[in-house]
Amino acid sequence: MSQTNRIDGGLVNRNQSYSFKFNNETMHGYGGDTLASALIANGVKLVGRSFKYHRPRGIMSAGAEEANAMVQLRTGAYTEPNTRATVAELFDGLEAKSQNHRGPLGFDVMAANDFLSPFLSAGFYYKTFMWPKALWEKFYEPVIRASAGLGSLSGENDPDQYDKGFLHCDLLIIGAGPSGLAAALTAGRAGARVILADEDFIMGGRLNSETHTVDNMPGSTWAETATAELYQMENVRMMTRTTVYGAYDHGIFGALERCTDHLFDGSGKPRQILWRIYSKQSLLCAGSTERSIAFGNNDRPGIMMAGAVRSYVNRYGVTPGKRVSVFTNNDDGWRTAIDLKAKGIDVTAVIDTRSIPAPYNVPNAATIMGCRVIDTVGRKGIHTIMLSSGQTMKTDCLAVSGGWSPNVHLTCHQRGRPTWNEKQACFVPGGDLPVGMSVAGAANGDMTLQSALTAGHNGASSILSSLGMSDAGSKIASASEESAKVSAFWHVTESKSRAWVDLQNDVTTKDIGQSFREGFKSVEHLKRYTTLGMATDQGKTANVLGLAIMAECSGKTIEQTGTTIFRPPYTPIPMGALAGRARGKDFRPFRLTPSHKFAEEKNAAFVETGMWLRGQWYPIAGETHWRESCDREVRATRESVGVCDVTTLGKIDIQGRDAAAFLDRVYANTFGTLAVGKVRYGLMLREDGIVMDDGTTARMGEHHFVMTTTTANAVSVFRHMEFCRQCLWPNMDVHLISATEQWAQYAVAGPNSRKTLQNLVDKEFDISNEAFPFMACGEVTVAGGIPARLFRISFSGELAYEIAVPTRYGDSMIRAIMQAGEEYNIVPYGTEALGVMRIEKGHAAGNELCGTTTAANLGLGMMVSKKKDCIGNVLSQREGLNPEKPLQLVGFKPVDTSISLSAGAHFVTKGAEATMANDQGWMTSVAYSPILNHSIGLGLIEDGKNRMGEIVTAANPLKQSSVDVEIVSAHFVDPDGDRLRV
Amino acid sequence: MSNFTFVSQPVLGGFKQECKGVSIIEQTKLGIVSVACPNDGDAALAASIQKAFGCSLPKVSGVEVSDSGTMRWLGLQPQQWFVLFEHSAEQGAPLATIKDELGDTAYCTDQSDSWVSLAVSGPLAITALERICPIDLHLSVFPVGTVARTTMEHLGVIITRTGDEEFLMMSATSSADSFLHAITLSVKNITA
Amino acid sequence: MIINHPLLGPRDAAEFVYLGDASLINRPDASSDDAAQAFYEYLYLRDNPAGEHKELWYHEQGDRSWLVVTRNTLTHEISKVEIARDVARAAGGSA
Repeated sequence: MSQTNRIDGGLVNRNQSYSFKFNNETMHGYGGDTLASALIANGVKLVGRSFKYHRPRGIMSAGAEEANAMVQLRTGAYTEPNTRATVAELFDGLEAKSQNHRGPLGFDVMAANDFLSPFLSAGFYYKTFMWPKALWEKFYEPVIRASAGLGSLSGENDPDQYDKGFLHCDLLIIGAGPSGLAAALTAGRAGARVILADEDFIMGGRLNSETHTVDNMPGSTWAETATAELYQMENVRMMTRTTVYGAYDHGIFGALERCTDHLFDGSGKPRQILWRIYSKQSLLCAGSTERSIAFGNNDRPGIMMAGAVRSYVNRYGVTPGKRVSVFTNNDDGWRTAIDLKAKGIDVTAVIDTRSIPAPYNVPNAATIMGCRVIDTVGRKGIHTIMLSSGQTMKTDCLAVSGGWSPNVHLTCHQRGRPTWNEKQACFVPGGDLPVGMSVAGAANGDMTLQSALTAGHNGASSILSSLGMSDAGSKIASASEESAKVSAFWHVTESKSRAWVDLQNDVTTKDIGQSFREGFKSVEHLKRYTTLGMATDQGKTANVLGLAIMAECSGKTIEQTGTTIFRPPYTPIPMGALAGRARGKDFRPFRLTPSHKFAEEKNAAFVETGMWLRGQWYPIAGETHWRESCDREVRATRESVGVCDVTTLGKIDIQGRDAAAFLDRVYANTFGTLAVGKVRYGLMLREDGIVMDDGTTARMGEHHFVMTTTTANAVSVFRHMEFCRQCLWPNMDVHLISATEQWAQYAVAGPNSRKTLQNLVDKEFDISNEAFPFMACGEVTVAGGIPARLFRISFSGELAYEIAVPTRYGDSMIRAIMQAGEEYNIVPYGTEALGVMRIEKGHAAGNELCGTTTAANLGLGMMVSKKKDCIGNVLSQREGLNPEKPLQLVGFKPVDTSISLSAGAHFVTKGAEATMANDQGWMTSVAYSPILNHSIGLGLIEDGKNRMGEIVTAANPLKQSSVDVEIVSAHFVDPDGDRLRV
Repeated sequence: MSNFTFVSQPVLGGFKQECKGVSIIEQTKLGIVSVACPNDGDAALAASIQKAFGCSLPKVSGVEVSDSGTMRWLGLQPQQWFVLFEHSAEQGAPLATIKDELGDTAYCTDQSDSWVSLAVSGPLAITALERICPIDLHLSVFPVGTVARTTMEHLGVIITRTGDEEFLMMSATSSADSFLHAITLSVKNITA
Repeated sequence: MIINHPLLGPRDAAEFVYLGDASLINRPDASSDDAAQAFYEYLYLRDNPAGEHKELWYHEQGDRSWLVVTRNTLTHEISKVEIARDVARAAGGSA
């Protein structure tokens, strides 16, 4: 195809010729083209099919508001559906396909929908597919989804990279049209930190599409000069291809920068960046969007917004038609005819709805005032129009202008409402703007170029003074004069054919009438019922038209009818950009334990606990199932010695004159009486009396404690203690700092743990049972002087220690412990074996400390001191938490020991039905005990302590299982704790 | 039994990536001690620090450098500072360097192993950090001698400006790999 | 949102953790005769104003200060930010 519709002029670079494909046909365009302008250059009119009726559609705009010309861009995994051809920059090698048709674009079999349209009006789906209900998921929905819709996803992972970022400025200027550029010049020259963002790839906005002059230069030249000056300013950040899509609280904006979308190959750079912009002040210079007029068959390819026609002719050097007509209700539409004539393109007629004298003289064109276009002909491209005067005219492009709507969207993101300006027939920003925002230019209803330039300058000036700066004497640029008179005109009542309001959603004037008749009269209902203003364009060209027609139906004013709420994003944001880097293994950070490298060498399986990766089990040769490894680790530890990395437990360093008194208040049990050099188990309650966390706390000195928390609650316990310290007892002398990361801590457990450690701990430290008894702690050195902390505590129920060294020695330490225990066949054990051993010992852990259990439930009620005030003490005594038969933590063993128990099963009286009414509690944790050689469980059951030996049924209806279990002591191994103290 | 090998390992193995735009160098010989001021002990602490190190205490978000220039005090939170100084494993416990001097006037906790520290510098350092750092690093807002604790890529980070184009960034040891990745990817994304 | 920290200046709300009504500072006296009732009211009875609300925020990814933030729940306008410890001390916080 050749560029039959390419004309002279414009801002395209004719030395840069690009080849691209549309529906597999090779075409050519230039640098500076959009896909839309290049398609127009190549004479393409039909570019897609409509959403519901599969009507042939062409390009209707030249910007982000495009409702029709959406294409599938790129191929394979890189493909992106619903890309607006009007904003897709052309590059060499671009490939695009049209969407939403079966068979070729020209012969879409689904176009049958168009002839069925009487049955497919608003609310059709709601009314038709009600029954049989079973068909919805299997039949109706898939068929509707396949036939009504837009482009399709590749189904593959998005191969592109995305990034995010943060920017700060005094002033964010949104839009680099005349008012935005004027404002940026004024603020930039004054030295303010400015960000100027524009969605286009060149700055200047409408200046690039019009033939106005500014300061005696062509508008586009002035824009180029201003832009060049701004690029030279260090305090101004120029961001093209950047859409500010949302206004959030306190001057925060979301912006999407498209970095490589205009390149064939992004060379590994992020495709897009999602910026969070913090601004002290913002100036919205977002311009305005031209809207259409509803008349019969106003959706045909070749029917286009009048301003868009000027963009194509003036900026891109292409013409959408050879014999163009204009249909307008305002003076601005006439400029299209004038600009076309200036380019030597035939103008058939200018049809103006207003019965006034023609505002301009357009030579060799019929100018018909007080007249309307009532219908058009030409299924794949308009060729004839019919007028209310009875005339019929041949035309291959109809430029329509229904007036301009200020782009008020971002002014409404904080629930601000625009107000109707009757004189200009448009909504302008209301008084309730987002914090720090002001509006200038067409976005504020300043509809002439001069007023926009002035408003931009003045807006920046007043922002400068609010920032305590003064403008550096910038002058207001002066523009050529123009007229912007308009009188509201919405739809042609004489039209008998369907007249489109929302092209993207196939909503017609009749649909709006029907919505009104069926009672969906508020604009929000109208939107949901007809889908007016939904989907990717969010009704940028349709909304005002739709609600004006609704106002007519209801006999209300447009002001009374109001608008729907505008929400972010202003234009669609790819999911990939919202995800940014957070994909795959980068979804979130991970934390490694000091023994991670060692564990990897030992082929450990890893489990994610929070952000931590912990060794779950350590398989040795011949082991194929995790249970084999886990059972072996448990046996080896209980028979001799094992080592486990417990660094992940939270460690909080607590110092201060009131440290002991503070602990007495945050723990349910007493710490003031703990001797220096001793450790005590501590139980922490929430204020509501429920258990929050548990752990051990060691007294390292009179005013110095080291607390451990569970891995999961390390952060929340620290936060809670800071709350207590700062908000509840602000005069206590107590200071907290996390030391979790400081120490590599290992549990060394088993009957040979002392002997193992005696090989490692320097000889001057006596760690015999006498000198270092159960629950002792102290500072020692290992391996000839490496500082360490030793705690004689046990989670496994065995003789055990935890030993900590500075993290830098963590890797050396695990290897040293393995070496020291070699003669005792020491094994590393993982979180599975850790879990088995604590269940065998009946220790509560996360499954039991689940946010619903009290100390009494866990059999720890005696620990809650009645003598002192502590968090949770008072409310733990309330009636509701102390029923006659409380849930109590006990052990469970299957009657048939060959059966495995399942956690989550609920207890009912033996043989009773598994119903809520019969529920007596639930199984919290289960494990296979390699010591007892059968499955064991811990659980909470009513009055459990008094029911030892009773058989109950553990029912798990989800797994259709029902197992008879015996209530036993929770201490399956060493119930008297003898092993701990040897 | 002294045939154990104990090696003091830098968290990231002494990571170093130097290029024109941004350099990233792990600081492997840094002692870090947190110093908390006992209630009503401000004057006593200030005096002991002045006497021992010739340094006054910065306010929160401020940085003070000792007379000798070898010690940097970061104001992290009310009543709490981090003191950073050059220290190697052979010198023994870093805690003693501070605690022995301050005695009862402060509560000290060793933090040397809690943090991985990266010096990030170069003309493109700020451009790279824009991708992850929510704090405004403009010189007029975050001048040399300022410290902030914030979050980058879900990780807590202490960032100190040590020069016009130089930052010291500290984050938790256990997530050092993720932290390094966050920074190197930022550099890659602006320079690739 | 942005919280204008009294010590640090404006910081993104993402650095903070929200707790709830600032009345949580006023923990009742556990030794009083009506302690059970007082604690019940303290923990469970809260105002839910459409308008100005004093609430607790914790600068977890910052200086670890608890703050009392006065925020309009309708507009998110933040009219006052105080260090909670100062507020607690002024309110006669115990010990």
